[in-house]
Amino acid sequence: MSVTEQGLLERDKDTMTLNMGPQHPSTHGVFRVILEMDGEVVKTAEPEIGYLHTGIEKTCENKRYVHVIPITDRLDYLNPPGNNLAFCLSTEKLLDIEIPERAQALRVIMCELSRIASHLVWLGTHALDIGAMTVFLYCWREREMILDLNEEISGVRMMTSYIRVGGVAKDATRPWLDGIRDFIDYFPAKVDEYEKLLTKNPIWVDRTEGVGVFTREEAINWSLSGPALRASGVNWDIRKSKPYSGYDNYNFDVPVLKNGDIYDRYRVRVEEMRQSRIIIKQAMEKLPGGDFKTPDNKVSLPPRETLHTSMEALIHHFKLVSEGISVPKGETYVPIEGARGEVGFYIVSDGTNVPYRVKLRAPSFMAIPGMCKMMEGCYIADVVGIIGSIDIVMGEVDR
Amino acid sequence: MTSEEIVEKLKASFPDDIQDTALPQGDAVIFVAPDRLQKVAGFLKDDPSLKFDYLSDVCGVDYLNEEREPRFEAVYNLHSIDHQHSIRIRVGIEEDNPSVPTVSEFWKGALYPEQELFDMFGIHVEGHPKNERLIMPKEWAGYPLRKDYPLTTETVTFSYNRDFKSDLVKSKPPTR
Amino acid sequence: MGLIEDAAETFEAEVNNLRLNVKDTIEALDHEYAGSLYDTVLTTRLGKVVGWAQKNALWPATFGLACCAIEMMAMANSRWDAARFGAEVFRASPRQADLMIVSGRVSQKMAPILKQIFDQMPEPKWVISMGACASCGGVFNNYSIVQGVDRVVPVDVYVPGCPPGPEALLYGVIKLQEKIMAEAGTDKAKKRVA
Repeated sequence: MSVTEQGLLERDKDTMTLNMGPQHPSTHGVFRVILEMDGEVVKTAEPEIGYLHTGIEKTCENKRYVHVIPITDRLDYLNPPGNNLAFCLSTEKLLDIEIPERAQALRVIMCELSRIASHLVWLGTHALDIGAMTVFLYCWREREMILDLNEEISGVRMMTSYIRVGGVAKDATRPWLDGIRDFIDYFPAKVDEYEKLLTKNPIWVDRTEGVGVFTREEAINWSLSGPALRASGVNWDIRKSKPYSGYDNYNFDVPVLKNGDIYDRYRVRVEEMRQSRIIIKQAMEKLPGGDFKTPDNKVSLPPRETLHTSMEALIHHFKLVSEGISVPKGETYVPIEGARGEVGFYIVSDGTNVPYRVKLRAPSFMAIPGMCKMMEGCYIADVVGIIGSIDIVMGEVDR
Repeated sequence: MTSEEIVEKLKASFPDDIQDTALPQGDAVIFVAPDRLQKVAGFLKDDPSLKFDYLSDVCGVDYLNEEREPRFEAVYNLHSIDHQHSIRIRVGIEEDNPSVPTVSEFWKGALYPEQELFDMFGIHVEGHPKNERLIMPKEWAGYPLRKDYPLTTETVTFSYNRDFKSDLVKSKPPTR
Repeated sequence: MGLIEDAAETFEAEVNNLRLNVKDTIEALDHEYAGSLYDTVLTTRLGKVVGWAQKNALWPATFGLACCAIEMMAMANSRWDAARFGAEVFRASPRQADLMIVSGRVSQKMAPILKQIFDQMPEPKWVISMGACASCGGVFNNYSIVQGVDRVVPVDVYVPGCPPGPEALLYGVIKLQEKIMAEAGTDKAKKRVA
């Protein structure tokens, strides 16, 4: 607004600026978007991030490797085992050690359970934003079952820190395995229930079909990843193209759809929940025996019973607890398929027991400019749907 | 293509522009100077047998503690969707007036990570549409991820470490 | 004449004494029962009723910042139903809320906004600091996290945990309800209403 010589107010531009501020009920965290609108149509969307910056990367440069693992839990706080696994895989690549098969299978089970939990949060909050509150209550009911399993195996509901360098923290217990079996028998009916509520619902389809479209080339160029990329027709899943932790032993499909709108992203994620359940079922059936962490005592703690009898075990235990593992000099990046897309840690090590540089490649961070490009030309009501469909988590955007 | 083949092909096509190559743990890594970056990036994207069309990440590293020249480094991780191979480009950047050209003409996904390079390290990215703070508040002074920036200016007031005695805690916590 | 004068003097002395005594007594009474009748008997009873109403209908403002927000959402869901304690309606606008649950880590960029939202809430208002990061900075002792949200807003109840389970947060809400009842009808409650 400017003032003319006669003292009248005059508009500088034709658009209205609307601030969708860091505190808003779309529960996706503290994300701010400044919308320039022409009536109800969004002309440009300018994102502003940084409201949850925690200085995690600098904090990790002052902590030993085992202490970094609980910190990585708090980055993408809806998929903590995914972050743990990415960090451990990068560290193990630098250490050049082999992980036993049982540990790999347990890691896969944990990651897929967490993927289902993360997709349940996504579905609940996305549906709540668009107006379907029942789905919110239903999804959290199943999520409570997964969190109970987490609590059984690691003691913590959300930030499990179960996946450690060299394997996992604790062997699978009988109640945990029984709980997973009950869950995989109970779950498919629930996914059908959510689909019955939403997939053919005319309100849902009207609000999500054809909205926020991203073509295949745009999706690749703007570095989208995960379900959003696969809904635009790109067959890129890191579990299939760069298999890690024994994923090539399991038979599962990767849903890929063509339209690249919100509806397709919804369908890709719901199908991914079903496929995750299939992976967990196969992993449970073929769960190999053996060690749950590498027997190399320079990396993982020796079993407690040997501490009474073996001197080397005692010395290794002491060194590991007081000093931690020492990683040889080098740098590496191992991507994994997290619930939101490609997650990876670029680790630079200088040979000591403290990492030199830890950088998280966050799928939500890379998706934000693409997301704001999608919002151009949409109505304001679609902005909320788009933010929900890309499924951003501010913990990993701001780090 | 395997990592060795990629690295061989690049060494053959750009004998002067690529300073060095490495194959740590099976990854393909090339070292490039900042002024040659855009040339190599264009080739990596357009060449049909390489076709690196997906930029995974741009990362900055400060090698102050290792005392090597150049001090900063920008690391670009690229994937190819069709050929399913990857490469890492490491660009060494000098300490005085650190700057690197942008690759956002080739990969739009580079916009945000390059802005973060400026925010966290102070590396100026030439050709980037916005050279301003992204994550830190707009008036923040200093570049947090540099090694000479302190982690915190507050001391810990309480610790379970028995050797730690801060001024605020006059006596040790009670033991058994 | 001497007797009448003596009598008059004694009478005057007695009246003066009485006057002084009454003045003391009236001052003492004034001190105990300051103000009108409303301020005495009714306030404490009415205050208790008002406090009971306030504690049973605490409306939280949505202020989920990070991981603790997920557990706050879990508290509002069907398993640990916060609705049975009255805290069901999470208001999006701070102008309609009276409880702010700061759930998550507060960064330097977010602190002024936290203060602004707190200022926008009408009196009486309460703050629950949920989680370790909001209470004291938590795991993150560095340049970008405010070490405890009580540096920015006054906090009534601290709920520790990383993240605190929904049962812990619910216990925090119950403790806040007890605090409201204990303060109801007293000067402390009067101070909350500016």
